[in-house]
Amino acid sequence: MYWSNDRTWSPFAELRSLQREMNRLFDGYDNGIAMTRFPALNVWGNAENVIVTAELPGMEIDQLEINVVNNQLSIQGERKAEKPADNAVCHRTERGTGKFMRTVRLPYEVENGKATAKYENGVLTVVLPRHEASKPKRIKIKAS
Amino acid sequence: MKDTYEKNLSKVNREEMESKQDLRTYVPTTDIYEKEDAILVRCDVPGVTQEQIDIHLDHQELEITATQKMEHPEGYELLIGEYDTGVFRRKFSIPQLIDRDNIRARLHNGVLDIELPKAEQAKPRRIEITTGG
Repeated sequence: MYWSNDRTWSPFAELRSLQREMNRLFDGYDNGIAMTRFPALNVWGNAENVIVTAELPGMEIDQLEINVVNNQLSIQGERKAEKPADNAVCHRTERGTGKFMRTVRLPYEVENGKATAKYENGVLTVVLPRHEASKPKRIKIKAS
Repeated sequence: MKDTYEKNLSKVNREEMESKQDLRTYVPTTDIYEKEDAILVRCDVPGVTQEQIDIHLDHQELEITATQKMEHPEGYELLIGEYDTGVFRRKFSIPQLIDRDNIRARLHNGVLDIELPKAEQAKPRRIEITTGG
């Protein structure tokens, strides 16, 4: 492995970073069309689980709804607009509010009933165990 | 002996600094409100813990730095990547005089609220008009 060390410069990591940065950049500048792609998701996987994470600051747990149907995960919710004080005047509002829904096709079949989710520091993490049938199995070769 | 130790130490420090520099910088989306007696700044800083926030008010310049927790679950491979973690950094100039000793900040569910109370001199005052003569 040439690029196993995090400190080493990797052209692929660099490209991935650029791609993510472009996604994030455009999310804010196309008059809301990209709101259909809100929130941005990262999907991680190994032989056991699939993990989906999303940056969703300023939500309350009861305003978030997560569903899994087949291997589609959907996250929906609403971020309410709230003034920090009634008598305050507004100088700048950049933080978006309103309803959103995002559906993502998971890379593997998952056990729908065993999914867990946590919301911490404004980041949602959903852990979905892979379905037994979708886990990689090593096939042994018998010598004839 | 001591030289090598010091050399090693300086190297560690440099590596720490370099790894910090590698982090990408993002501009946190921010709302700013003003009350009669305070300026209220609200920033979205998801994935940041309380210890990783640095709020600095120097003269009239407010600087907010919030470092996100690196997101990479151990032993997992990234299959779809739409966002990256890094540092949220932003500067604002605050034209009003601020009562520096009573600045309060609160972090809740990835949203940072900063309350900058205005100094006595900066609070609005009703000016009485006296009729002459």
